[in-house]
Amino acid sequence: MVEVKNLKKRYGDKQAVDGVSFTVKKGEIFGILGPNGAGKTTTLEMMETLRPIDGGSVKIDGIDVAKHPQKVKYLIGVQPQSPAFQDKTRLTEVIELFAAAYGEKVDPMEFLRDVNLEEKAKNYVEDLSGGQKQRLSITTALVHGPKVFFLDEPTTGLDPQARRNLWDLIEQVRDKGISVILTTHYMDEAEVLCDRIAVMDNGKIVAIDTPRNLIQQLLDRGFKKKQEVQQASLEDVFIDLTGKALRDGS
Amino acid sequence: MKSDWQKSWFTVWTFVRINTKRFFRDRTAIFFTIGFPLIFLFVFGSLNSNNSSVSFNVALINNSSSEFSKEFTKNLQESKTIKVNKEVTSLDDAKDRMSRSELDAAIILPDDFGKVQGNNTYPSGQAQVVYTQNNQSSGAALTSVLQSQFQQINQGLVPTVSPFTVKSEQLNENSLSAFDYTFAGLLGFAIIGMGIFGPINVFPELKKMGILRRLSTTPLRVWQYFVSTMIGQAVIGLLSIAIMFVIAILVFHLEVVGNWLELAVFIIFSIAMILGIGLALGGWAKNERQVAPLANIVVFPMMFLSGTFFPRFLMPEWLQNISAFLPLTPVIDGIRLITTEGAHLINILPQVGLVAGWMVIIYIIAFKVFRWE
Repeated sequence: MVEVKNLKKRYGDKQAVDGVSFTVKKGEIFGILGPNGAGKTTTLEMMETLRPIDGGSVKIDGIDVAKHPQKVKYLIGVQPQSPAFQDKTRLTEVIELFAAAYGEKVDPMEFLRDVNLEEKAKNYVEDLSGGQKQRLSITTALVHGPKVFFLDEPTTGLDPQARRNLWDLIEQVRDKGISVILTTHYMDEAEVLCDRIAVMDNGKIVAIDTPRNLIQQLLDRGFKKKQEVQQASLEDVFIDLTGKALRDGS
Repeated sequence: MKSDWQKSWFTVWTFVRINTKRFFRDRTAIFFTIGFPLIFLFVFGSLNSNNSSVSFNVALINNSSSEFSKEFTKNLQESKTIKVNKEVTSLDDAKDRMSRSELDAAIILPDDFGKVQGNNTYPSGQAQVVYTQNNQSSGAALTSVLQSQFQQINQGLVPTVSPFTVKSEQLNENSLSAFDYTFAGLLGFAIIGMGIFGPINVFPELKKMGILRRLSTTPLRVWQYFVSTMIGQAVIGLLSIAIMFVIAILVFHLEVVGNWLELAVFIIFSIAMILGIGLALGGWAKNERQVAPLANIVVFPMMFLSGTFFPRFLMPEWLQNISAFLPLTPVIDGIRLITTEGAHLINILPQVGLVAGWMVIIYIIAFKVFRWE
């Protein structure tokens, strides 16, 4: 469904993304992890047609993103890091607007029901909580029936309940056969939610596999937790791969 | 199946529909686009309506106790041309106020004013007009006004023959009043308010919140976004301007002699053109700090040189020649020519052409510099 080959992006003298390659299958949740400045968001933005691609290629459902951005926009749904909507807009109107952006007319209630917001249908968006805004944003990203769904740090700043609720929603999206690509800083989230993950550092992918396999590989290399023998969390893998040093902006 | 073209317009129409609804839910937006220009209309309208007739602010100091002087004082107080300030009773107070230009002059009636002198059968007297150096013209005008009033009185008291007289007659033809100029200027001001200040305040905010960026991941095209904004603004703008017309006609006796349809067409095109400036500035700027200085450079010359607050014919000729080409100038001139002089679009081709020319230039720039974030 998604094919990324040797993707590159340069900002000034910093190689933000340095030859990233991976594929994402249909109906798979793919997580991109990494410290701040590792190039996760830039990679995502190039795939979403938001940033020009310096080198390499991204193909979504066989269509080249750099050559046919307008076609690709019909295939993807994008959830921004902090979803925002214009004040004084009703929830139903938000859905109508986004559907109209794709030239489509939809039943807004159907999409609000999918994310448990039908009771808020006539409210203005400024009355919603953070978690409700996230849910509204997810359903607006799916109004046109995309094949790939991107989420940039979807659960940052949410309380544990809202997070788990969002995980359920993301799994439902996956179960519809949509490929989900997300970035996150939370290892528990990646471990529970993602079918496969890529760990990025300094613009490169340093490991790519299922969470279980990555943990097993670390254990196989003789890793032992100080207190609990034979146990390691994904966080240990992460720190082992990317080091403990504090990064810019973290 | 809908064609691509129909789909494109469905997109535009939905954006227009929902954004217009949003506008009417937002009290602040309503105040700034509709209420604010109305306040200016009332302020400038009432300033100008006084200009149509000349009047003098005077103090009347009556030192006489005669019947005639009482009668004369009463008549003077009822006069429209001469406004008597009743607070002032002493010459010193009057002098003080004249030095502050609160009063144009003072009329003094001496204590023997209006008394019957000697063997005469009729009252007589000499009124005195006092004025300062700065007020020579009003002093002289007031003297001649009083002189002609006394002449009438004299005629009644002592009939004489007047071989030469002057008779003045008002022509019934329309001439432009100061308000006609002011009103067209205020419409220009309202159009700038909607077309420029609207987008430059809203766009940076939308960018900061990432709303435009989110839209840019959809197939929505820049032209669809621009056109939907344009239609929405034209609807709201026409409404705001219609309200201004109603008030100008009812309160300030504006006479519209032109064709309403042509006026509406011209105003819609003008709003679209000026909105382009706002779209270019707001669409280009990444944040408020970037847009403010540039907007001032663009807006202030138009505000002061295009005839918004005072007519261009008061400017030196070289400045008129330059300001004629500012985008707002043909808008204001065109509106005034249609409204008060009954011109048709065909008569104001220079203005229409200038608006069209600016429209092309402005939108080419707006599309080139637009950024979604």
